[in-house]
Amino acid sequence: MRIPIRMIGIVTTFFWIFLIAFFVSAVYSVKDLQFDFGEPQISVTSDKEILFSLPITIVNKGYYNIGAFNLTTKVFDENGFAIAHHSTFVPVIERGVKKTLSHNMTIDADGLLQSEQEYLFNDTELTINQMVGMKLAEAIPVQASTNFSMPWGAPLYNFTVGEIKCELYNATHVKATVVISFENHAFFDLTGRIQMYMYNGGNELIGEGQKAIEAPQNSRYESSMELYVSITEKPENGYMEIYFLTSLFSYGPLVIPYG
Amino acid sequence: MVEADKSVKDRLRGITGRALKATVKALIFYAIYLAISTFLTPVSGVIPGLQQIIETFVMVYIFLVVVGEILSGTIFQQLFNVARALFVVVYLLFSLKGGTVSTTFQNVKLTLDLSLFLMAASLLSLLGLAKSMFQAVNFLSEKAEPSRI
Repeated sequence: MRIPIRMIGIVTTFFWIFLIAFFVSAVYSVKDLQFDFGEPQISVTSDKEILFSLPITIVNKGYYNIGAFNLTTKVFDENGFAIAHHSTFVPVIERGVKKTLSHNMTIDADGLLQSEQEYLFNDTELTINQMVGMKLAEAIPVQASTNFSMPWGAPLYNFTVGEIKCELYNATHVKATVVISFENHAFFDLTGRIQMYMYNGGNELIGEGQKAIEAPQNSRYESSMELYVSITEKPENGYMEIYFLTSLFSYGPLVIPYG
Repeated sequence: MVEADKSVKDRLRGITGRALKATVKALIFYAIYLAISTFLTPVSGVIPGLQQIIETFVMVYIFLVVVGEILSGTIFQQLFNVARALFVVVYLLFSLKGGTVSTTFQNVKLTLDLSLFLMAASLLSLLGLAKSMFQAVNFLSEKAEPSRI
């Protein structure tokens, strides 16, 4: 019985040495793994989408391949609802290899701003959850995750419609002048136009007008709109429907009562 | 009188030999620990408590090896061998918390899934436990055999 016991001992010792050597070298080779996250870039695509692009360079100078590299970004609003989600996956990063990839996440700005007018008119905080996962030596899963917040600047912050000032235009029409103002807190320039429809108390359209707008990021916009109303339909009370048609989003109607 | 002196001398020689063997084994294990801990230094900074877990394991393991070696040739050696194998299994399971180790480092949550390593280590530890049990059975049967004859 001594020989089988000795054999078990030898085999066990051999496997222990192999296991510990593999584990220690796999963990040790983490120090030879380099991650370079480039400057994140935000742009607007032709499909009215906000493109968030993060260039990543991975240099694997370790002893083993890196398996199942996965970078996931999730964007949540302040109520915890997911707005956007994207994953970048690389099956294997061979040892001694430098890999450059781009983590691109798109947010459908048109859909988002149409459905949630909060983002149009109020500044808020977005929570970003970023998770990096990989398998060291293609065998030991490691995951690192972090949360951070990012301010969201509203493109039509503090949108205000001033009082309607009327003056006689000609024998049949009155010129109604309305001052509109807002601050563009967004990271993109706002270009497009505003359409305004004026209704009286009986829900009848009495006048309309439109104005081209151009508000660079972090700037205040203020301008007046002119609407021509029939002299018989002098605007005393009713409401206005305002439509925003920009290169990035379309929103409307925003209903504002007057009178 | 001469035989009694010889017996005392033999015993002393035996104890000295076992103590030397135990010391050498302890030194070898400690050297292995030092070598491994050098490699694990970058990780120890990130995972708090890892160094302590390894140190406690090494201390208890070396103690059991030394005691087992000093008591070699007795049934207590087999008992300590079994205890050592059991200790490895239990300590691995408890310290690695089922194979998933998590820590938070400067707002970054780091999770290390060691279930594969834990499984392999547990299987090897169980093999070690089986070997120790076989050794104990073998020791007892060898002791019993001459008395039957």
